[in-house]
Amino acid sequence: MAFKYGGYMGQMLRINLTDKGISKEPLREDWARDFVGGAGLAARIIYEEVKPKIDPLGPENKIVIMTAPLNGTMIPAASRTALCAKSPYTGSFFHSIFGGFLGPEIKFAGYDGVIIEGSADTPVYIWIDDGSVQIRDASHLWGKEPFEAQDILREEIGDEEIHIATIGQAGEEKAPYAMILCDIRAAGRGGMGAVMGSKNLKAIAVRGTGGVTVPNILKVYNTAQRLNQLISTNPAVKGLSEYGTPRMVNALNEGGILPTRNWQTEVFVGMKEITGEVMKEKVVKGHRACFGCSINCTKYSVVSSGPYKSVINGADFETIYGFGSICEIDNIEAMCKADELCDYYGIDIISTSLTISWAMECYEAGIFTKKDTEGIELKFGNTDAMLLMIEKIGKQEGLGALLAKGTREASRIVGKDSIRFAVQNKGMEFPGHSCRPFPAAAVGYATGPRGASHHDIRPTPEKIGLVDRLTLEGKGALAAEINHWLILCDSMALCHLAEPIWGPMKISDSVVEALNVVTGQELGYEEVRKIAERQWNMIRCFSAREGFTRDDDQLPHRFTEEPIPEGPMKGSVISKETLERLKDDYYAYRGWDIKTGNPTEEKLIELGLDFAVKDVC
Amino acid sequence: MARVSVKTFSVIRDAIGAGVIEIDVENPETVGGLFDAMVQKYGKPFKEKIWDPDTGEISPFLIRLNDEIIRSTVDLDKKISDGDKISLIIPVGGG
Repeated sequence: MAFKYGGYMGQMLRINLTDKGISKEPLREDWARDFVGGAGLAARIIYEEVKPKIDPLGPENKIVIMTAPLNGTMIPAASRTALCAKSPYTGSFFHSIFGGFLGPEIKFAGYDGVIIEGSADTPVYIWIDDGSVQIRDASHLWGKEPFEAQDILREEIGDEEIHIATIGQAGEEKAPYAMILCDIRAAGRGGMGAVMGSKNLKAIAVRGTGGVTVPNILKVYNTAQRLNQLISTNPAVKGLSEYGTPRMVNALNEGGILPTRNWQTEVFVGMKEITGEVMKEKVVKGHRACFGCSINCTKYSVVSSGPYKSVINGADFETIYGFGSICEIDNIEAMCKADELCDYYGIDIISTSLTISWAMECYEAGIFTKKDTEGIELKFGNTDAMLLMIEKIGKQEGLGALLAKGTREASRIVGKDSIRFAVQNKGMEFPGHSCRPFPAAAVGYATGPRGASHHDIRPTPEKIGLVDRLTLEGKGALAAEINHWLILCDSMALCHLAEPIWGPMKISDSVVEALNVVTGQELGYEEVRKIAERQWNMIRCFSAREGFTRDDDQLPHRFTEEPIPEGPMKGSVISKETLERLKDDYYAYRGWDIKTGNPTEEKLIELGLDFAVKDVC
Repeated sequence: MARVSVKTFSVIRDAIGAGVIEIDVENPETVGGLFDAMVQKYGKPFKEKIWDPDTGEISPFLIRLNDEIIRSTVDLDKKISDGDKISLIIPVGGG
């Protein structure tokens, strides 16, 4: 084994689009040891190589596609790969994590990660074919929707088995929340598609024919078997195969925590038409799985005729939330069409839908008129208006040009106190997981470095009753330990959908076992936990260096001022005073400066992040 | 004896074959007694959706008892009464 630790290829690929330089360099052993891979290791690389305060859409920004030691092994639910850069949407370090096959394929081609820097003068794509790497002309792909571009590339290269990441029209035009289609999954959030577009990079195609070496294949096999058994029998994971993530729609509604009408309430009267069960009955035609995964959560759905005729890989829960309850649409076929349109233009489903619902509320409040909407009756529940607005956002035309900027920036431009309707943190719109009844989730959302992400915090322990949801005591610690299992999984390729196996309160022993068995290390629980803490602090240091402070750790007006008005969670709210108390608790548990909300010198030295002291303390 | 209405979703609904059932609970008339009655009536397909085979313990999830949200982990002794409406909000992660 050439590299010190198992599961790694020991090599990074660096591609400079400005001077067309291509080089291969060794992966630093100390960084692999201290940051593992994926988001954690990419954060270390980007902190080192991307200078502070640069324009995220300028050539100084870098894209790091980082695999993890578990990618490409037989460990289940380990297909995830991190696509990272400074975000044009939030201004922070951003790890957009995607499933599918691209990450394992990069490893089979011989690389732990790909660093893309500079900017091409004309549209290009990158073709990685094992050891051969080329920067090729993509002028014939520019303007093509992502799936069409993927089809053209597969035909042109003559290999049906290649795996491809592609941007759409929105990415080409640097729309702030443009996403990247990675085969059938997506690096959806944070505007990573805009960063690709700013580099004139249409696509990255990969073919690898190698394998991944582990120290003891029998040990890995035994661990994989055990984990597969856990995944297949766990009550919380069952149901994902059958219904995908939409399985939870009706349960959330029953619990009074299905965000509805731009979060004005959390009970949706039209819920019964948009459940996982209805989706299965009406549109699902098959199941799809990511590399080596036994969960099969992705659904293949077809609406074969009518105005919402569409073919999608989905819909996932966030589509049902965003284009369903949030916009008060009770038509599952329309949701499929909305999903298809987002893929077509290459825009993030959550930010798109929340921005449309923000616009609907503005319209109903008289802030927008028919003159602004070009005659569209942009009210909640108007399916055709919602679909039209997706197209306008995708093309950045008319009101869509404003909405393509997202709720925070659009509110700033529109004024009239429309920020009250913007359900976002640090510019990024909220996913469909309630936090008004759940204090740990609330402080986790507020303090998340990349804004409102359900992959930096999960409400699960409070939502399923593992802890008393009402108390504030210990919620800072709980949020921090949830951060830790999530960032560690994002650095090991582990999918958060197997949450009960990897978490959900803190890093599980199964995660420690999987890391040790693949890398050949013998790390104890506390050593692994410290790696996760280091990763989280590294990301926070990037934000601190950019100027983020405690004041940026906020919740939207709707969550601090407006209690849930109905249902079993009626009255739930996180007041500003409560949020500040929770933040104190969170920073104190982390050993951070309570005044600034940033890591202290003592904490950074303890974690081996001494080099960041001069930047953030 | 308490006759209660139980609403279920997703894989639990599949296991018992209906979205809403009426069931008699006796001795004890509690949430735990309800689960015992459901295991007796619907057998292993139901039990394996609720109990974690790895730990042998009941899975953590929320239960809606009329308009109150309670927890499977600590509220199995909660009294139920004739006519109560109960929803099993099974483990909901993901997304």
